[in-house]
Amino acid sequence: MILKANFSVMALEIPSTLEQEIDERITHYPVSKRSAVLPVLHALQHHFGYISEEAVEWTAKKLDLLPIKVLEVVTFYPGFRQYAPGKYHIRVCRTLSCAMAGSFDLMDSLCQAAKIDRSGVNHHHPIAVSEDGKYSIEFAECLASCGTGPVCMVNDDFHEKVEDAAALLGQYRD
Amino acid sequence: MVSLTAKTVAYIDGSAYEMEPGDTILKFVDRHVGRGHVPTLCDAPQLEPYGACRVCSVEIALTADGPRRVVASCHTPLTENLHIFTESKNVRDLRRNIVELVLTDHPLDCLTCEVNGNCELQTVAAKVGIRKVRYPEGKNHLDRTKDLSHPYMTSDLSKCINCSRCVRACDEVQGQMVLSMHGRGFNARIIKGLDTSFAESDCVSCGACAQACPTSAISDVHQSKAIEATDSTRTVCTYCGVGCNLEVKTKGNEVLGITAPVGAEVNNAHTCLKGRYAFKFYNHPDRLRKPLVRYNGHFEEVSWDEAYDYIAKRLGEIKTQHGPDAIAGISSARCTNEENYLMQKFIRAVIGTNNIDCCARVCHSPTAFGMQKSFGTGAATNSVVDLQYTDCILIIGANPTEGHPVTGAKIKQRLMKGVTGIVIDPRRIELVPYAKHHLQLRPGTNVALLNMFAYYIWEAGLVDREFIEKRCENWADFENGLRSLDLDELERIHGVDREQVKAAALDYARAEAAMEFHGLGVTEHSQGAKTVMLIANLAMMTGNIGRPGCGVNPLRGQNNVQGAADMGCQPHQGAGYMPVDDPQWHETYEKFYGMPVSDEIGYKIPQMFEAAREGKLKALWLMGEDVVQTDPNSEAVKEAMNALDFLVVQEIFMTETAQYADVVLPAASFLEKSGTFTNAERRVQRVQAAVEPLPGTKPDGQILVEIMNRMGYPQPDYTPEGMLAEIAQIVPFFKGATWDGLGDNGKQWPIQEGNVGTAIMHVGQFKRGLGKFHFFPFRESEELVAHGKEFPFILTTGRLLEHYNCGTMTRRTGNGRIVTKDVLAVNPADAARKGIEDGDHVRIVSARGEVILEAQVTDEVKPGVVFTTFHFPEHLVNNVTSDVHCDDTLCPEYKITAVDIEKVLDEPGRQVHSSRIVPAEVFAK
Repeated sequence: MILKANFSVMALEIPSTLEQEIDERITHYPVSKRSAVLPVLHALQHHFGYISEEAVEWTAKKLDLLPIKVLEVVTFYPGFRQYAPGKYHIRVCRTLSCAMAGSFDLMDSLCQAAKIDRSGVNHHHPIAVSEDGKYSIEFAECLASCGTGPVCMVNDDFHEKVEDAAALLGQYRD
Repeated sequence: MVSLTAKTVAYIDGSAYEMEPGDTILKFVDRHVGRGHVPTLCDAPQLEPYGACRVCSVEIALTADGPRRVVASCHTPLTENLHIFTESKNVRDLRRNIVELVLTDHPLDCLTCEVNGNCELQTVAAKVGIRKVRYPEGKNHLDRTKDLSHPYMTSDLSKCINCSRCVRACDEVQGQMVLSMHGRGFNARIIKGLDTSFAESDCVSCGACAQACPTSAISDVHQSKAIEATDSTRTVCTYCGVGCNLEVKTKGNEVLGITAPVGAEVNNAHTCLKGRYAFKFYNHPDRLRKPLVRYNGHFEEVSWDEAYDYIAKRLGEIKTQHGPDAIAGISSARCTNEENYLMQKFIRAVIGTNNIDCCARVCHSPTAFGMQKSFGTGAATNSVVDLQYTDCILIIGANPTEGHPVTGAKIKQRLMKGVTGIVIDPRRIELVPYAKHHLQLRPGTNVALLNMFAYYIWEAGLVDREFIEKRCENWADFENGLRSLDLDELERIHGVDREQVKAAALDYARAEAAMEFHGLGVTEHSQGAKTVMLIANLAMMTGNIGRPGCGVNPLRGQNNVQGAADMGCQPHQGAGYMPVDDPQWHETYEKFYGMPVSDEIGYKIPQMFEAAREGKLKALWLMGEDVVQTDPNSEAVKEAMNALDFLVVQEIFMTETAQYADVVLPAASFLEKSGTFTNAERRVQRVQAAVEPLPGTKPDGQILVEIMNRMGYPQPDYTPEGMLAEIAQIVPFFKGATWDGLGDNGKQWPIQEGNVGTAIMHVGQFKRGLGKFHFFPFRESEELVAHGKEFPFILTTGRLLEHYNCGTMTRRTGNGRIVTKDVLAVNPADAARKGIEDGDHVRIVSARGEVILEAQVTDEVKPGVVFTTFHFPEHLVNNVTSDVHCDDTLCPEYKITAVDIEKVLDEPGRQVHSSRIVPAEVFAK
């Protein structure tokens, strides 16, 4: 109980390029490093795919915050994932135009094709992952291509007028 | 109501009221119409406005009949001529609907809820007129499980209304930041740490969250918010020198719980786990309940009369045979001013000797001595509230977040808000990450470091010449001293980079107002009093005296250590600090007491032990002091106890020292007595008995009055009013104090006629006239000179939040289950060199003895330094501590012992930690 002062950061391998990128982002907030918490978390999620407990602690140490102050941000935004997505992460637009163009059916067929069970999904765990860990899927808000629905993204690739789920997945096999 | 010609007004439901700067609408309405008129769930007086629940909504308009809009009153600033409508149908409907929605996710089990009758949600629901919840039953959180993992803190988050009060209390009041809101919307919930339990989190169990929680979602094992108690008594905490006010809830003669009063000047709704929760020692089965007299080597239970007769006879015989100077008394800084006054009066007027001392000897006697030399008064110059006005906080040899938790929390809050912090400490204490500078010096080199600190202020020309010329003396000598310093030598001695020292010194000197706090890391050294005078130099040379937000402020260790010295429990000064060997004051005392008193300075505590061992001291009277366990070099103290002919001990428990006694008198605890305590900021506050003394016990003051009468001195019966009146006649700075006039928040001495207190001392002029500069060169401690080669590590000691001194009280409470042992902190480099790993047993050897402790490997200490606490005397740390003393005051040098450490190989069956002390709750089960 004597040593309450500092917490230790568990092993988290941050490539030097990532750390440089993060350090650079922090310089955008000269008044208070605390304000850099969102950009830092985005960078970490982009690299690791999700924000682990170690990433929360690493961020806290980086920004001179207590880990709990980072965790409250992570849990506030459903956009931050607290567990790993699949190798290919699919985001299906569910906003009005796409919904009317069949995005809910698309979601079902993608799940079927990728063997994903979405029954456990909720507001705070929006992602479902396939058994083999290869694919994960979630609904996204408007992806800004309302005339070409239903649309979805696989990692950073954009797909319009998606009709054949199996064909789409066929592009992401390895 | 005020006249409409007043400068700034706003209107509440059509009536004009005067505004105050910083008013929010809710504050304004609370002040003029009463708290509760506008209901709220998320606002609490001890917290910043938040605006989460919207129950405090009111309508506002710029003119009486202008268009209205709805705002949350708690966080909306008040503007001039605003019209506020608190009870329109619109806001009443809105409030009712909000509370109705809250109730859809709240178990309506009020009758069996621990806070029934004292639940803010219940009160607000009644106030807004809820009769039914119109919404259908939906998803809810009523199945959340309780967290009963902690000895004190409990949570039942099915009762949580997500008001965030607990989170804000943890952040804004304590600054521990253990609680947070996880997730959002329907999923939002309170978490502890990274979503763990109270026991596993870094919670320090101050209870601020439980007190702030409007329901029973967060509470404590004592169920402090329940209304089962029939009586409530405002008193003052018995632990540290912060002097927290407590509200003690009782039923019959039992204490049920303790809360911190909202609005108390010292601790507004805050206190630490000792004050709030560690009270179960008071009726612990171990409490002494009968006077004991040792006949033929064995204690026998006797009546009070028999004990008094026996004492009177034995003391009378010793006085006749060996003279009054063969008798001595040690008073207690845990007892009231009145009791300390009586104790010294008993020794001086009834026995007839100045052999009276108190435990200030072993803690802050160097502060009292040093500050008297520099300023003329041995007490804090400023008040804790001054933290609000300071720009720089200098903390030397103190660990306030552990030792003085409420002041520590306030300091932490200020540092988090950007006030410059300078920590001078051999350890990386909890405040270090929040401070701008940490000067991690080698233990025992304060003088070297502070000389360098002063040098850089002087060298940079940041000296306040005007202040020095007008208000101080002896500057030239001091300046010559600074000129003669060898900076290379100093840097080598204290081991801190000189540029770091310089940067900190310049920040201190440049601050508009800089405030200093120090603790036993300053005083418990051979150059302790000299260090205090050097600190006084810093304040004087930068003009940081006599203004808000500055000064020299010792963090006094015990609840009434200031008072014990004020009352004259010192061998050289009587009540009110008058020298006993001054003929004029001697005459004053003789006249006042109506008895001849000695004009020779008596023994200090270490001299008493020495005199006992030499056979010169025959009898000793101890009031509430366990010297065998707490004074350094225990073996020598035991030898002294054995050498005495007659030892009387007033105690609440059978302590190690009491085992040596001839008579043990069962005293009462602070919850069972009335009087006053004086806190570290000179605040004389009323202690009021919450319960009757346990059957068979008596308050210490009552015992002293009775023995004084038994020995022929007509001391009137003990009443707090009467005793304070007597003290006010002889102690000049208590002159205007009366029991009633002290009021709820006490008064800071000097107290002038009419109970007028003094928040800041030495305004315009020092008590001694001119403030005096002193220069002292650094001198290595004799302990290190004599033994440093053979024993290359420095052992330093300190304390923990959870325990108090040797744990006589705290270890008999739930605190004893939170922290169960002392450990030895060892730097990783030293540990690697010595083959020591975390949890290994380590033998610590000094020139006097050896002890074994469990190692904790940490870079909190520097290489070459090891650290332990002293709360578990069965580890016998004081077997190794040195009996080198402060040159000027004989305060022991607990902070430095030359030791060597080695890993102890497993010895099966070895009981390193054995204790006879068991926490009270274990008995309750």
